Amino acid sequence: MTLALFVDITLNSLVLGGVFLIVAIGLNIIYGLSRVMNLAHGSLYAIGAYAGYTLVTQKIPFFVAILIAPLIVGVVGLVLERTIIAPMRKRSMIYTLILTYGLMFALDGLIKYTWGNEPRFMAMPAFMRETMPILGTHYPVFRLVTLLITAAVMAALMLFLGKTKTGITLRAAATIPEMVSCLGINMTHVHIGAFVLGCCLAGIAGVIAGPLTTIDPLMGHGMLISSFVVIVIGGLGSLRGAVIAALLIGVVQTLAEFFITDLAMVIVYMLMAVILAFRPRGLLGEGKFE
Amino acid sequence: MPDKSTTLSPLQIFGMVVILAVLAAFPFFAKNRFYISLANEMLIYGLLAMSLDVMLGYTGLLSFMHNAYLGIGAYIVGLFLIHVSASSLWLAMLVGVAGTCLIALPVGWVQVRTGGLAFALLTLAFGMMFYTIVWKWYSVTGGDDGLMGVPNTSVTLAGIVLGKTKDPKVIYLFTLAIVSLCFLATRRIIRSPFGAVLEAIRENEERAAFIGIPVRLYKLLGWMLACLLAGVAGSLFIVYKGYIGPITMSAFAGAGVLMMVLLGGMGSLWGPMVGAGIFIFIQDYISTKTEHWEIYLGIVVILLVLFMPQGVAGVGGYLKRLRR
Amino acid sequence: MKKTALAVFSVWMIVMMGAALPAAAADPVKIGVLVPLTGIVAQGGLEMKMGIEMAALEKKTVLGRPIELVVEDTQLKPDVAVSKAEKLVFNDNCKALIGVFSSGVGLAIAKNIDKLNVPFLTTHVMTTEFYGMHPLVFRCGQLANDQTAVGNVKGIVDRPDLKDRKYYVIVHDYAWGHDAGKRFIDLAKQNNIKIVNEDFDRAPTSTKDWSSYISKIKASGADGIYIAFITNVIPIFAKQAADFGLTKTAKIVSAAAPGPMELEEGGEACYGIFGASDWSWDVNTPVSDKWEMEFWNKYKTIPSDAAVHSYVGMMNLLNAIEKAKSTEAKAIADALRGISFDGPYGTVRISAFDNCARNDAVLTETMAAPANPYGAKVVMKVLKTYKAEELGPPEK
Repeated sequence: MTLALFVDITLNSLVLGGVFLIVAIGLNIIYGLSRVMNLAHGSLYAIGAYAGYTLVTQKIPFFVAILIAPLIVGVVGLVLERTIIAPMRKRSMIYTLILTYGLMFALDGLIKYTWGNEPRFMAMPAFMRETMPILGTHYPVFRLVTLLITAAVMAALMLFLGKTKTGITLRAAATIPEMVSCLGINMTHVHIGAFVLGCCLAGIAGVIAGPLTTIDPLMGHGMLISSFVVIVIGGLGSLRGAVIAALLIGVVQTLAEFFITDLAMVIVYMLMAVILAFRPRGLLGEGKFE
Repeated sequence: MPDKSTTLSPLQIFGMVVILAVLAAFPFFAKNRFYISLANEMLIYGLLAMSLDVMLGYTGLLSFMHNAYLGIGAYIVGLFLIHVSASSLWLAMLVGVAGTCLIALPVGWVQVRTGGLAFALLTLAFGMMFYTIVWKWYSVTGGDDGLMGVPNTSVTLAGIVLGKTKDPKVIYLFTLAIVSLCFLATRRIIRSPFGAVLEAIRENEERAAFIGIPVRLYKLLGWMLACLLAGVAGSLFIVYKGYIGPITMSAFAGAGVLMMVLLGGMGSLWGPMVGAGIFIFIQDYISTKTEHWEIYLGIVVILLVLFMPQGVAGVGGYLKRLRR
Repeated sequence: MKKTALAVFSVWMIVMMGAALPAAAADPVKIGVLVPLTGIVAQGGLEMKMGIEMAALEKKTVLGRPIELVVEDTQLKPDVAVSKAEKLVFNDNCKALIGVFSSGVGLAIAKNIDKLNVPFLTTHVMTTEFYGMHPLVFRCGQLANDQTAVGNVKGIVDRPDLKDRKYYVIVHDYAWGHDAGKRFIDLAKQNNIKIVNEDFDRAPTSTKDWSSYISKIKASGADGIYIAFITNVIPIFAKQAADFGLTKTAKIVSAAAPGPMELEEGGEACYGIFGASDWSWDVNTPVSDKWEMEFWNKYKTIPSDAAVHSYVGMMNLLNAIEKAKSTEAKAIADALRGISFDGPYGTVRISAFDNCARNDAVLTETMAAPANPYGAKVVMKVLKTYKAEELGPPEK
């Protein structure tokens, strides 16, 4: 194992884990605050990637596209929330699960219909297509940029949730919704806001994942399963748990592809099953179920 | 209040005999063997959908990828017929169903420790696990290419050869017989005190525990029944198709089964069978017309959940409410 | 009285209409076309359909009857394909089946051919299992795995810039990938080509993120990469390899020819991929150029190998039906054995020995395209041509 290889593997894990993290946090926010287990999250992630792709092909600068694409996904999320998610809130969790399952297929089908089956490549500014020497290895610049973006998103989220009034309200609503509504805050607004925020996060993850893995209609499926594993292991609704779990799964998946490709994912699923059955509150014990 | 009696009224018996007769006569009137194959597939998936209904409609637990157990059953039977012996169909099916139950038992034991959302996610985790194993275990399962070249056998009863599985009519009638038996048996089980306990668990798990029901045990038993039926469906599947691939065990196919139950109506046993028929027909028909049939699938699921969660079986109740 | 009159009149009308129906002579010959129209290789499937259609339109009739194509989508799933094949044969009364993109689907149908009992000609499948598999099963189109391995190994040995490289082998994890990888490694070792990993890497077909594999390749010190991937993944891998700067030092040799649409999407990142294949639009013979222009004018799609394979395959099939003077399965199959067609990539002969095709092939490298009528930016440039006999396999 040379230093170059070690650095490669570490950076690959961080990049992968970073994308998982953004998706998982979005999923957790939607679950914790909007009280919906959103199986269509992967499709929203894919829509973010495709939106970014379309914007870039329309000659919009890359970094501007990264800002606009999540907003587009947010709008989609808003429409979905108001039309089909909100009426389901009073019904049992099973129906909501089935509903978002169906939504996933509808969105996937729409993606195929609009953009076709072929994989798409997102064009990047020239400087990002180079590799940079780092600690003995040459690593693609755009992957390092992805790491920076992930860090920036996490920092922004932490500031938002920790320091702003809206953020603190959202956190309170996740823990004691009844109390928050007693304080006169409109819970419907909270639900909508949380859902839209979660969708925006999915969109951001999608748009930065575009150059990493190429954009194709099935990209949401793989991400969905992985992100579920992450939030279960981290604890449903727990943001801190998601950080640890995302990095963990990022490392596991990268190492597994490197060493023993065959059983890797099976082990990951088994870990998920074990946690669900024996420690449902997740690694940090902060998760919650309805 | 739904009719909970275990005996069948003369009218119900007459109705069932008529339906059975029509179904049995079908292959002799069908235009060509393609339609017989389609009906055969509807019966198999009807059985699978019914097994999912035992979990979803009666015990109130969502199993996301129940088709995994159809797949496992199919692989075991297929491997048995290819590698061990192609002479005894009954033995192969017995091994297949037993094998499926053997695998479902530890899975179920882990799963019934939870309920609701956690249970559903666990079924997803295990389903994905089986899918990945089947896909990766290339040397045994043929991986992505699937299990092919399953030999034809003959259907025998008490030593008399009734027909060869090469003949589509034979397979169809065989499938019809087995599915009908399973339906009647399951109906009997559901309408027994056992079924009542399952429904109690569905209504309120905590309260059921309070009155002294060993909730986990009953959930496990319900799960085993559902997986046993799925295993039977799997055996019928491999005999009919001669082929099984990981695609049949995928999350996408799992959604299809869920939709069949939803379409037909949860908690009615016969509803999901009708739902399976409708679903397969639509899928076959729509996929010939447009390649974007996934959009329609998704929209139909959404509409069903929003407006018609009782499915076809609930139409009667819906109409009654309209008339008022 | 009125009702009876109406009834008699209706019966009379029906009888008249029945008599007025077209005579049996104009009853079309139906051919079942099985291609993937949805899923990841939908583009390839579409191109195959275009090629088959083009041949049917060119021939216009067979045995004096119009040709009717019944197209079904295999969705790249073997069990769906078998169901559709049954529908085509039993419900639509097709007399032959043609098409199929993937070996998995091809094998599934081939194993059920007794049940279907019609001749089955694949036009893109590469598996070697079709050699002498069954009297009704035929293979033509892309070079088979063994022929490709021969072509690629010869190509590497002949070129000084490829010969001395150390090759890292990575394949898609299914039957075709394993077969392609193994054949290349066995043949390469016989020809003193250095292989870095004899237990070649197998990647799941759904892999999107190649960074781990690329890191492994970098770490191994290999400067050549032999890939056996489903064609639409080739540009994805090439682009990510380019991102990591791997293609500056390593050259890619591919077991399967990438499709032109995929190359266009990949652009510059896809330059420098070598491979043996039957044809590319760079082939400059009058027959090829004429066919390319016709195809372009008709479909406005860059002429692809999937299309030309299927065109030639369909021509062979229709000619075989003519030669057999019948639509009976065994007759068509007997006529197919030994038949040949001179087309855009030379003479394509279906061997009477093993029911599989023999034809000349070319070694290509992808690079920036010269001016061309299709607006293509990437071309598979022909570097050398191989004769059919060089590629084998022997016919005895």
